[in-house]
Amino acid sequence: MATIKETLLNGLQGLYYGNRVLLPFRADILKIIINDDILMDFSPFSKHIYLNETEKFTEIYFHDFKRLNEVVTKFETIKLVAVDKEDDLFNTDNHYKLALHLEEKHKLTIEKTDEDILFIE
Amino acid sequence: MLKKLKIFIPIIVVVSLFFVSTVSIGAPLTNKIAVDTVTAQANNVTIESQVLPPIYMVIPFMLLLLMIATGPLFYKHIWERHYPKISILLGVIVAVYYLVYLKDYHSLMHTLAEYISFIALLASLFVASGGIHIKVDRKSTPFANVIFLLFGAIISNIIGTTGASMLLIRPFIRMNKNRIKPYHIIFFIFIVSNVGGALTPIGDPPLFLGYISGVPFFWVIDNVWYIWLPALFMILLAFYIFDKMNKDGKDDNSEYSGRIEFKGIRNLIFLVVIILAVFVDPMVFPWVPSLGPLPFGIREIIMFAVVYLSYRYADPVALKDNEFDFEPIKEVAYLFIGIFITMVPALELIAHEAKALGNELTAGVFYWATGSLSSVLDNTPTYINFLSAAMGKYGLDVAVNEQVRHFVSVDIIYLRAISVSAVFFGAITYIGNGPNFMVKSISERAGIEMPSFFTYMIKYSLIILIPIYTVIWLLFFFGKS
Repeated sequence: MATIKETLLNGLQGLYYGNRVLLPFRADILKIIINDDILMDFSPFSKHIYLNETEKFTEIYFHDFKRLNEVVTKFETIKLVAVDKEDDLFNTDNHYKLALHLEEKHKLTIEKTDEDILFIE
Repeated sequence: MLKKLKIFIPIIVVVSLFFVSTVSIGAPLTNKIAVDTVTAQANNVTIESQVLPPIYMVIPFMLLLLMIATGPLFYKHIWERHYPKISILLGVIVAVYYLVYLKDYHSLMHTLAEYISFIALLASLFVASGGIHIKVDRKSTPFANVIFLLFGAIISNIIGTTGASMLLIRPFIRMNKNRIKPYHIIFFIFIVSNVGGALTPIGDPPLFLGYISGVPFFWVIDNVWYIWLPALFMILLAFYIFDKMNKDGKDDNSEYSGRIEFKGIRNLIFLVVIILAVFVDPMVFPWVPSLGPLPFGIREIIMFAVVYLSYRYADPVALKDNEFDFEPIKEVAYLFIGIFITMVPALELIAHEAKALGNELTAGVFYWATGSLSSVLDNTPTYINFLSAAMGKYGLDVAVNEQVRHFVSVDIIYLRAISVSAVFFGAITYIGNGPNFMVKSISERAGIEMPSFFTYMIKYSLIILIPIYTVIWLLFFFGKS
């Protein structure tokens, strides 16, 4: 199971199907921005989102949308703040700001947001 | 949720009552009211009979406003999925009433023309500026922010409040990324998206409509600058106090180059085209062909062409960095088609009452009435209806350019009050002016949690702006008849 650091270094891709996103790493997710929704409640009671970690990947279900590619358009991304499982969550230097681009054939590219993309943690 | 709902019910009721009382002063609850209005033409006087809608035809408009206010709060995703249908359905109810029952095609065609003009300008500015990426690499301080907002206020008179908002909101957020709070965005809406643009007809659509109706181009800056300046100063001072209290980012030791970088600079050409297109109107230059009876002209065709071309030839890197998406303009387009159509009965009733009240209307009444309605209605038709009422006091007609110019030379206090308040009060709600919604949407996509419709009003606009606007009223309009 890769870390976020390895994912970025090796250019690993994720997948998306309908309203489900599969990320090739295990991480603590702190914040997600999709469209103009800012999601921070990842408890099992959340009506908007469901997170599930398996041994090999992390999956996210966005309950408010049927198909992600209908709401996340060509130049948009799903943005998230995440921390590698083995890293100290409370050290903000370990926080990764990631942008997920929906590509063709269900592929999901994962990149660190650069300074030019607006993303307030 | 239920607790929240209970808190908002009285507010909703009060807002509803406000609208009902505003439009129903003296308007009897009859199905049809025949009114004889005197329309003074250039050299002759004609009498025409205008049929007013009944008061209950304001309900679709009130319903739409309430849903815009409550939808994102209580049923966000249902609202997001269905707002286009709701807005169009409510618009269709009013349109059918006018077409089938009143047989009044003129009001709807006039509204359609205004809507097309409105959305052409907004869409072209939105797309053209969406392809320009500006990065300001300097440390944010309260003083630097004040200078930035002041610059935004000035430039909004050159590229319009929409153009300035779209161009500057991202660099403003980026500059403040280590200490950004919702109040930064809210003051940006106050200053750049609204108040700033009060000096020229390009600044805000109502002033532009005044210009093409006959108000001289430089009349606004000549007569409004000394009101604009203290209003802007007071709002910037309030912002400075807020920003000074914000201690976030104190330990920011990042190095800043102080440079300003541009990407997608070619889209500036399209912005210039839009500004020039604003003047392509038969009322301004008689050689410009009119496309009547079509509800649009050459200007709108140029602007829609800019929408296509500025997107087609935009720098993809700038679009990606701006995370460009059509959703904010789509939202404005759908909501405002409903707002424009459903507000026709409300505006007709208001215009009728304003004319009927005649001499009782003072500069102060024009200031507050235009302002409070511009907060929730589109400020362009509100401006023109109150201008019509003010001119009615002198037996002049807003539809005749010469008479508008004559009115400006006879008495400018009413026009000054109407011009100032139509622009200033657009900042009171998210729906007061087109760019407000867009700025909110861009900020949320950047991860900033913006206040709801009511919180925006209760916590910010009413508390900060109404005292400032009251001072403006006392200084410039109080006791002026």
